[in-house]
Amino acid sequence: MLRLPFLRSIPQVTRVASLGARTNSTGAPEKVEVFIDGQPVLVDPGTTVLQAAAMVGVEIPRFCYHERLSVAGNCRMCLVEVEKSAKPVAACAMPVMKGWRIKTNSELTRKAREGVMEFLLVNHPLDCPICDQGGECDLQDQSMAFGSDRSRFTDITFSGKRAVEDKNVGPLIKTIMTRCIHCTRCIRFASEVAGVDDLGTTGRGGDMQVGTYVEKMFLSELSGNVIDLCPVGALTSKPYAFMARPWETRKTDSIDVMDAVGSNIFVTHRTGEVLRVLPRTHEEINEEWLSDKSRFACDGLKRQRLVSPMVRDSSGKLVMVEWEDALVAVARALQSAKGEELAAIVGGFADAEALVALKDMLNQLGSESLCTEEVFPMDGAGTDLRSNYLLNSTIAGVEEADVVLLIGTNTRFEAPLFNARLRKAWINNDLRVATVGPNVDLTYETENLGDSMQVLQDLAEGRHAFSKVLNGAKRPIIVVGSGALQREDGAAVFQLTQRIAQNARVAANVGHDWRVLNVLHRVASQVAALDLGYKAGIEAIRANPPKVLFLLGADEGVISREDLPKDCFVIYQGHHGDRGASMADAVLPGAAYTEKQATYVNMEGRAQQTYTAITPPGLAREDWKILRALGEVVGVKLPYDTLTQLRARLTEVSPNLTRYGDVEAANYFAQAIELAKLVKAKPSNTPLDVRQKTLEDFYITDSISRASPTMAKCVQAVKKQRQSKY
Amino acid sequence: MAKYVTGFLDKAKIAFDILKQNGGIKGSLYTFYRTDELKNGTVVGKDKYGNTYYENNRYFVGRNRWVIYNDNVYMDYDGSQVPAEWYGWLHYKTDLPPTVKPPVHYKWMIDHIENKSGTQEAYMPYSTTKPKIQAWDPNVKKE
Amino acid sequence: MATVIANVRPSLKLFQSVLTCSSRRAFGSTSVLMNEDPLKLAQLKEAPMKTLEDLFTSEKQDSLITVEKKVDIGCVTGVPQEHITTRHVRIWKPVKHAMQSGTNNTHKWKMEFESRERWENPLMGWASSGDPLSNMQLSFGNKEEAIAFCEKNGWEYSVTEVVDKQPRPKSYGLNFSWNKKTRTSTK
Repeated sequence: MLRLPFLRSIPQVTRVASLGARTNSTGAPEKVEVFIDGQPVLVDPGTTVLQAAAMVGVEIPRFCYHERLSVAGNCRMCLVEVEKSAKPVAACAMPVMKGWRIKTNSELTRKAREGVMEFLLVNHPLDCPICDQGGECDLQDQSMAFGSDRSRFTDITFSGKRAVEDKNVGPLIKTIMTRCIHCTRCIRFASEVAGVDDLGTTGRGGDMQVGTYVEKMFLSELSGNVIDLCPVGALTSKPYAFMARPWETRKTDSIDVMDAVGSNIFVTHRTGEVLRVLPRTHEEINEEWLSDKSRFACDGLKRQRLVSPMVRDSSGKLVMVEWEDALVAVARALQSAKGEELAAIVGGFADAEALVALKDMLNQLGSESLCTEEVFPMDGAGTDLRSNYLLNSTIAGVEEADVVLLIGTNTRFEAPLFNARLRKAWINNDLRVATVGPNVDLTYETENLGDSMQVLQDLAEGRHAFSKVLNGAKRPIIVVGSGALQREDGAAVFQLTQRIAQNARVAANVGHDWRVLNVLHRVASQVAALDLGYKAGIEAIRANPPKVLFLLGADEGVISREDLPKDCFVIYQGHHGDRGASMADAVLPGAAYTEKQATYVNMEGRAQQTYTAITPPGLAREDWKILRALGEVVGVKLPYDTLTQLRARLTEVSPNLTRYGDVEAANYFAQAIELAKLVKAKPSNTPLDVRQKTLEDFYITDSISRASPTMAKCVQAVKKQRQSKY
Repeated sequence: MAKYVTGFLDKAKIAFDILKQNGGIKGSLYTFYRTDELKNGTVVGKDKYGNTYYENNRYFVGRNRWVIYNDNVYMDYDGSQVPAEWYGWLHYKTDLPPTVKPPVHYKWMIDHIENKSGTQEAYMPYSTTKPKIQAWDPNVKKE
Repeated sequence: MATVIANVRPSLKLFQSVLTCSSRRAFGSTSVLMNEDPLKLAQLKEAPMKTLEDLFTSEKQDSLITVEKKVDIGCVTGVPQEHITTRHVRIWKPVKHAMQSGTNNTHKWKMEFESRERWENPLMGWASSGDPLSNMQLSFGNKEEAIAFCEKNGWEYSVTEVVDKQPRPKSYGLNFSWNKKTRTSTK
């Protein structure tokens, strides 16, 4: 047990070193010149014909090839003619040779494509009118562009067209296997990206079938991506089945808020209704993928919504009122409390605009107790130094790491796309991952170092067996989950993590552009809230129970009526009727992330904005506008009337909040370490744990997913699958 | 000269007839106030809602058939208070009033209803679409 | 946008100075002699001829300046004031659609206005909007053109930059490599 990691580390290190040496000594390898339709292009050796063509803007049709998956080369749609070659070559699999003249639009190429199309269509049903892929189908488009204009398929005895039984792979993916053209993209995705080897093929020739061998749910948190990958309508979205055609819908760019990754998404909507969410490629965040919760929890936006302001009447029931009455009632309560009798807790979906408006208002009323639901140790540098609470390495940056230590986090469910990156690095760069915490399946090989705090202490003092690996790493990364910081001894966990990171940094002797310490947040609002100066955790509120409590989307139940004085007036502002709204005396309906143009900062510290897709339902309004109006009634005039002015205020408080798309790197690690030394936190004996251990814990975590019927079905389906013998 | 005298006498008689038919000076003033004109004519019939229908072919077509609405409605009269059977005669669709040619009555026919716009009973269109958002009900406890 | 009153390049400057000079002579006191022989005119000692050096060093040169002037066509386009001052334009370049492999719609820069309230029509449940610009999406060859167009029209705008990445070299042979973790299930 002790020997194995040590032995493994030796070839590891030498390999990395030799790789580095090779690239340094010889520099970039010589480029190869090829000609695509007569256009010369210089490419690296080993580049495929298809990639070389893409560089000069020539698109070669393909079905099985996908940029982010391995090369399969089985659909043959990408056949192109190469001069002096006897046969057409498959562009996706063939590396270019020097001086090749590739013809992507020659007679031979077109004939080859037409032949491939004909073969594909022989066994493909003509059910485009009832197919959900219709309008965004590669097969449809390419048969129009490259297919023959007439059919030679004359099956007058109705004997021959292939038909395959549909599979049941869970509540998210609808399968119509007759439409499958055997591109194996889904199989490659499952085994390479999702890390779940459930899909495969059986049979061969006309009897080939793609499926799960035995009836089984596709148990992955990234399963929805196979819907996008499928070039035909064999795998489509079950919740979205027969809902709309792509040309009828509007697509609004937005940012996902179901986790702290900040995946870029399209919100597809029609007639004021969000129909589906699709990933939007962003190379540095989500690439082309999206987690199932982000993709399918959007139907939760239609249920349990707050559509009208409510105030608790004399009988103790919440009744719907007009905005005017609600604002007056809330303002009266706010005015009755003085200074520190006023407090606020913000939840995971709060946007930066609402956060700053709330903070400005409460600060002007004399209160400083503005807290976030998520705890972050405030000892030492706490949240004063930005480097302390960011994923400093950035999501894309982990691809360059060689050793990653995950402390108290299950990245697979807390940040599925970050985990997909780790897996990608594990596959391509032989990344070595170790975890401290419960032994969870992260879809790739991990080394579990145990879950006791003693492991962390040993690592910090260099006594642990893994310390050798860590110290031998060229580019180490330490990631601590914010879940681990919620503990009583969160400060100790964080201090130890900082020490481990600092030791690894010193040992690796990396420059200042390589960051070792990382914090993995679980909710979308946290980084923006900390940037704006919110206190992390509600300790202050527990210690000093307020008379008036303002909950901005705080639904996780960190505080309950029992923690508060009897006469405490609770105001809830948010979009879902959940724990927060149930305990409130006044409810102000806000907008969900698809309904407002708002700023969210992801865990790397990258500010991104959502755009308004649909209008908030009923009387609900954008959150900052509610706070602005409330301020007017309370007598605190917030100095912004438009979004532009509000963003100017955001810039004033923290300029990184409006530099959309940029990662604002944080520094001062050394100072943070110095301050951390002052922390006198004592580690407890409770082992490190994570809240989400298995797939059924993944789906329902917040107010939107709690309201989503699809997510509930997923949990049921996973539980049922667990009982199955497969 | 005689022409003028008889002409004057004719006019005087008509004026006298109009006054007489409308119930003297007071009645005439009342009718004038309600209908903005004073006419005389033969009563063609009366419907079950108390509206009286008149005809006088001395007036040109378009003004020779008219209705005096039930006194009970006073100024709140409305064209839609004329029932279907009288509507045809009043609008010259037919020259046979229902007193001459009674309308066919079937048992499925409902009673005539005047236009209710502007009243409590007015027809209000409602959204026939299914609500897209299901609102949270604070008083339903989640099981 | 810069409106050039006079160019700053010396050769052109000279040319212009000569022009101004000669025209002044033409419309000056000697204008009565316009139809006379130019040689004769030159011999008249009324105004001294200027040499090229004089022109180069002339103090009049200093008055030739470039004025930066913002072009705003908002006042003549007929667009209502509300849709100039209160609108926010977003400029971006679309990425490949996740559902398909085609990339033809990713070449142009797009410009779009922020979306405004839409509401449900009570009769049919269709969506109504009071925003005349809600369906307007313009395409541009590059970012600068889009920005220039917004500035010319007086719209406030923000640009979403493109995040690009070099493709990773791929190889069919990797499927069969013995020491890599690619496609372990299909080996």
